[in-house]
Amino acid sequence: MNFTQKSKDHMDACRFCWMCRHICPVGNATGQERNTARARALGLSMVARDAIEYSDDIINNVYECALCGACVEDCVTGWDPVMFTKEARQLAALEGKLPEYILKMLENLDAKGNVYGLDKDEALTNAAKELVDSKSLLFIGEDATFKAPDKAAKAIELLKKAGVDFTVLANEPNSGASINFLISAVAETKAVMENAAKVLSNYDKIICYDPADAKLFKREYKEWGIELGAEIVTFTEYVASLIRDGKLSVKNFGADLTPQDSYLLARELEETAPIREIISACGNVKEMLLCGKATVLAGNLIMNEYMPEIMKNVASRRWLNAENMNCKTVVTECTAEYVLMNMTKPEGMELLTVEEAVLKCL
Amino acid sequence: MKDFLMDMIASELEDAVGRENCSTRTIDKLTHSVDFFWLSRMWADRGLRMPEADFVVAPKDAKETSAVLKIANYYKIPVTTWGGGGGSQGGAIPVCGGIVLDTKRMNQITDFNEKAMYIECGTGTIYKHLEWAANERGYATMHYPSSLTCSTVGGFLAHRGIGVSSTKYGKIDDMVMQMEVVLPNGDIIYTSPVPKHAAGPDLNQIFIGSEGTLGIMTKAQMRIYEQPELRKFRAFLFHNMTDAFNAGRELLQKFKPSVMRLYDEAETASLIKKIVGVEKPGAFMNIAIEGVAEMVELEEKILLETFAKYNVEDLGSEYGEKWWKEKITFFYPGHMMDIPQCFGTMDTIAPYDKIENIYWEMKKAIETNYPQAKFIAHFSHWYEWGCMIYDRFIVDGKDVPHDPHEALRLHNEIWSCGVRTALANGGVVNDHHGVGIKLGRLMKEQYGPAMQVFEGIKKQLDPNGILNPYKLGL
Repeated sequence: MNFTQKSKDHMDACRFCWMCRHICPVGNATGQERNTARARALGLSMVARDAIEYSDDIINNVYECALCGACVEDCVTGWDPVMFTKEARQLAALEGKLPEYILKMLENLDAKGNVYGLDKDEALTNAAKELVDSKSLLFIGEDATFKAPDKAAKAIELLKKAGVDFTVLANEPNSGASINFLISAVAETKAVMENAAKVLSNYDKIICYDPADAKLFKREYKEWGIELGAEIVTFTEYVASLIRDGKLSVKNFGADLTPQDSYLLARELEETAPIREIISACGNVKEMLLCGKATVLAGNLIMNEYMPEIMKNVASRRWLNAENMNCKTVVTECTAEYVLMNMTKPEGMELLTVEEAVLKCL
Repeated sequence: MKDFLMDMIASELEDAVGRENCSTRTIDKLTHSVDFFWLSRMWADRGLRMPEADFVVAPKDAKETSAVLKIANYYKIPVTTWGGGGGSQGGAIPVCGGIVLDTKRMNQITDFNEKAMYIECGTGTIYKHLEWAANERGYATMHYPSSLTCSTVGGFLAHRGIGVSSTKYGKIDDMVMQMEVVLPNGDIIYTSPVPKHAAGPDLNQIFIGSEGTLGIMTKAQMRIYEQPELRKFRAFLFHNMTDAFNAGRELLQKFKPSVMRLYDEAETASLIKKIVGVEKPGAFMNIAIEGVAEMVELEEKILLETFAKYNVEDLGSEYGEKWWKEKITFFYPGHMMDIPQCFGTMDTIAPYDKIENIYWEMKKAIETNYPQAKFIAHFSHWYEWGCMIYDRFIVDGKDVPHDPHEALRLHNEIWSCGVRTALANGGVVNDHHGVGIKLGRLMKEQYGPAMQVFEGIKKQLDPNGILNPYKLGL
């Protein structure tokens, strides 16, 4: 197998190290030894040594990782299991070894513009109806468009209430976040991104509703040499700025609200302050034990397509973190985490998106 | 025929634990075949596959564990228990194939008893998760080994683990109340509800340290402690090891710090210099004192008065605090020894009248017989009567045979030499990493005819010898 030397070095460092086991949301949910960074590293290092084949079994294991980077964050010496896992996915794609469930999602992406194979919901189209052209774009993203259009509609409602000039796209292009998650950096991924960039380059500002898109536009696009030219801002940061600037007049009802930090914002973009700023305006910040950069993933919708029970367990375990600290109301900033946590919400607990938390306080 | 029988057994195991919890996947067999044991790592590094299980099962509780053991007993197939796989003695490796029983689905916290100060949990609970659960309610487990995040409650119990705050809070065997254990025949038993009693021998202590050879611990009540009001550190530099041992011994007749760690000059000049930043020559010692603030202040005064008698250099609190912050950093890849080096920690323990001699004798034995090996040590767990040596040999990669069989031979020879020297001078086979397959051959050399006590228990409880064969010398 043609792993890069960098990946081989990281695999070899991780293959006999268990230090990040405790932090893996998937491993904790399954209790399976294979769902650890070291197990993936060991398997792939044996593939790299030609001791075992890069078989369906090993490849399936590579797809049992959420790429959330908790292990990377935890490693004091800087080893990066996400890096070699992504490369393993890329090699599976290049060698024509992708599992059926991955191929199906890629086919959906080709045919329908989204990996879920769904049609756009009218609720979202209706919410965006009265919007006129603007140089500021609210980019809804694949997850919200197809899995939580009602939440995206709320986000539109909030921005309308703030009286800001913005628009949404009737036919939003796929950003490339899902294909990047599935097969990493291959030519097809770049093609999806370039296609999106043609449309997005018409805007001065792009407000990303989904943290995955914000990270992609800020990081991966640049790595591919795709320049958007627009200012990229996360929805959470944008809403915080609207409150800061007095465009959203929020009443503080004194309720305890607990941020569920998106790993994409907290770890990848180092953005943890805006959600706390928003919550402080609406109520009080009540933290869970693992928060900020140490946040724990609460769900991934792409993985929910092929390992739904495990994703529910992932979300349930996050609820347990909240319950243990007596945190009754959790505020999410990522659609996937909202959807999965909503599916598994325990009795007596409340779940809000950022826009819902603010709308309640207007 | 073999395939047919294997399918029959697999279907029975699936019936016992659920299909999704009985695996024959390559990735599962592979990842349960390599633990932290150097030999298993070296084997994998050379592109060789270690002995693998035929089935990896993950029961959710004692009842399912019992069902698995009944099947294994009927077919007379080995069962090796796997917690986190972080053991360094090869105790979790399924050397005879059969079933690996992974405990990590048994990770529920079933009781948080603030009156009796314990958390009851499945033994598959990662210890760090137990610590988080305690922290969420304002308590702490006070069990802080370097493998805190890697290993399970059951794993620590199985080999008698220990954490850095052991001097005040004890070893894992001091931290457990009642346990639920599944015997090899499938019977589910409970040990005494309290760890101190006169109702016969202590059942807990039969299973703790038995490394999965006598039964499978499935639930345990682990003690919790109030968070200390104050934790203070003080680091010192001794000019010689004798002074350090005498100072430590004298201090422990007066009170118990939580952390006491003495590093020999070689380790001070390498690890302590690299991680903590101490540049001066000497033997570095770090002490932590914790508890009620008033007591801590008084104990610190006693510490300084006691150590002042030994011509010690007081390094203040900064290095100690840095050490505490970095206490696990030592064990990450890049800081820890790793392949291609050959290495091992031959921890032993002895009373104060023997410990320093053991240190010098082991150092001499290793460095004389294996000049390619470097010998470094620290002394990390102290009692009123003695302390342990965490002594390590390290052979540079260039001096390690590439041929895996030759590398194995060298590794085992160094181990035999070191441990036999410890035994000859009043030490034991191991202090807190356990025995596994690595040191099983040396158990009879320590215990002599006393070994028949262990053998008798084994024969009675596990007549078919299904549980973790070739471990612990049983």
